[in-house]
Amino acid sequence: MEYNGAAIIAMKGKNCVAIAADRRFGVQAQTVGTNFQKIFEMGPRLFIGLPGLATDVQTVFGPYFVEPVIAGLDPKTFEPFVASMDLIGCPMVPDDFVVSGTCSEQMYGMCESLWEPDLEPDDLFETISQALLNAVDRDAVSGWGAVVYVMISLKFLTKKKTRYKRH
Amino acid sequence: MALAQVCGLNEFSLSSQGPKTFRDESISIDDAVFASENFTIPTQFDPVENLKQFTSPESDVKIQFDHGTTTLAFKFQNGVVVAVDSRATAGPYIASQTVKKVIEINPYLLGTMAGGAADCSYWERVLAKQCRVYELRNKERISVAAASKLLANIVYNYKGMGLSMGTMICGWDKRGPGLYYVDSDGERLTNNIFSVGSGSVYAYGVLDSGYRWDLTTEEALDLGQRAIYHATHRDAYSGGVVNLYHMKETGWEFISRTDVLDLHYKYQDEKKK
Amino acid sequence: MAIAGEDFSVIASDTRLSQGFSIHSRDLPKTYKLSNSTVLGACGFHGDVLTLTKVINARLKIYENEHHKKMSTTAIAAMLSTMLYYRRFFPYYVYNIVAGLDDEGKGCVFSFDPVGSYERESYRAGGSASSMLQPLLDNQIGFKNQQGVERLPLSKDKVVNLVKDVFISASERDIYTGDGIIINIITKDGVQEERFPLRRD
Repeated sequence: MEYNGAAIIAMKGKNCVAIAADRRFGVQAQTVGTNFQKIFEMGPRLFIGLPGLATDVQTVFGPYFVEPVIAGLDPKTFEPFVASMDLIGCPMVPDDFVVSGTCSEQMYGMCESLWEPDLEPDDLFETISQALLNAVDRDAVSGWGAVVYVMISLKFLTKKKTRYKRH
Repeated sequence: MALAQVCGLNEFSLSSQGPKTFRDESISIDDAVFASENFTIPTQFDPVENLKQFTSPESDVKIQFDHGTTTLAFKFQNGVVVAVDSRATAGPYIASQTVKKVIEINPYLLGTMAGGAADCSYWERVLAKQCRVYELRNKERISVAAASKLLANIVYNYKGMGLSMGTMICGWDKRGPGLYYVDSDGERLTNNIFSVGSGSVYAYGVLDSGYRWDLTTEEALDLGQRAIYHATHRDAYSGGVVNLYHMKETGWEFISRTDVLDLHYKYQDEKKK
Repeated sequence: MAIAGEDFSVIASDTRLSQGFSIHSRDLPKTYKLSNSTVLGACGFHGDVLTLTKVINARLKIYENEHHKKMSTTAIAAMLSTMLYYRRFFPYYVYNIVAGLDDEGKGCVFSFDPVGSYERESYRAGGSASSMLQPLLDNQIGFKNQQGVERLPLSKDKVVNLVKDVFISASERDIYTGDGIIINIITKDGVQEERFPLRRD
């Protein structure tokens, strides 16, 4: 996990769900890229985030050293759904938020304080961005801005926000 | 003596033979080594082995050391430029973004901090005291060469006991600008350019491509700041702000403290032009 | 954790003492009042904490008798740094935070590593939940990642409420944090203590 470094959060809101990831690609201390894709669109209203060993994120053969985060809306009821897994696939489905990555303690601290039930899409967007950005600012091996997707029920919409962070 | 006990020496093997010399340097070192009486250590005890217990990754009782760092200093026609980052990390966790890694020893001497933060700040404070004593005894300022040698000799007395220090002593004396690299192994070198820390490889790259002896002051300061910025960009364990100092004939001057985020946007705008 | 304000500082700790998965005490504050303008927060190995605070208090008494005045917060911080360094080869396993008022009456916070490297800061979280609390303090007190926000000086009430909030969050996720918190508010009138319950599981 700490070989490449990553930070991913998914959060539930009111009829919406958001997922955010940092953009750094590094090999231990060395930063190689600053716009690495960690969130993948698996279908309409369904995204997964893959923090972990970067080579496994990009290949199709296992065993994978990744701890996935899943966020989406139910295709029929549009019910928000977030879940995370460990690297052998044991799922955890809470009703608030999930975090995964090298700075999970920092992310837990931020989310636990900032998150509240029934956030509107705009508030959810701000909450998840602030949680992620401030968490990665205390982690050496993740960062360099964030990518955020917010899914809203009925009409499909994703927002993307990027911002450079301190190095 | 506590130090002797740690090293497993008996009292007689360390006692000096013949009359005591009164060369200033040996007195200063004796003073500093004498200060080791203050150190509390159990008898028959190996500090390195003991510390391994606490610093190994498996241990849940962990002691944090300031590890990643980028510091640099170089001489040019108008003095010495000193530039450092400000991040302290404990593993991947960023413990602080506001560390002062330039230690102001006196108005004509600066030391930089890499390795153990406590080791650097404590021993450079001891050095500051010894430099002041030297001034009072000799009615003149200590040279950079002598000051750096003093530090090197002091830490050499603790070799093998787990100190971790990589420092650059910068100053101005009768011989003009002075720059020495001193580390906890007892190494002491002088040169025009030095960079120490995990980000030093990146800093050297920028420095070597932009360095000339006849840089103007403005160019030199910009080069120092740029080199630290580029190091913080690539090295995960360096970051925070860039602290910039200029050593002149009249002593050191603090130039600036700039967030690397501001530098990032500044240099990005420059590229667009 | 501690926060410095304009003319006050606040230092708070939870009151749980645990080892591994078992709780030794539910009512053991980790803050120690050193003088009317200085409070020490110390966590880590509790035996070392006890020894260290005993030695500090003795040193403070010696200073007071020799100089006929109380030691200032900045001087206590400098003294603590050398005390810790003298155990460089056999360290106290203690993380220290010193909060109080400086010579000008301004709030100040000093944080230490176990071997005496220290720094003056405006806020700091220490201990097992520090990595959870620190980013939130960066955000709420350091105004990190906030753009176009006016940086108002912090009021005492706001700081105390924030302290409660972050400890509640920490006790949700950190098993070593819980039971209750003690908040010490240091002003020119002395140290005021406030207690607040946390979850006890």
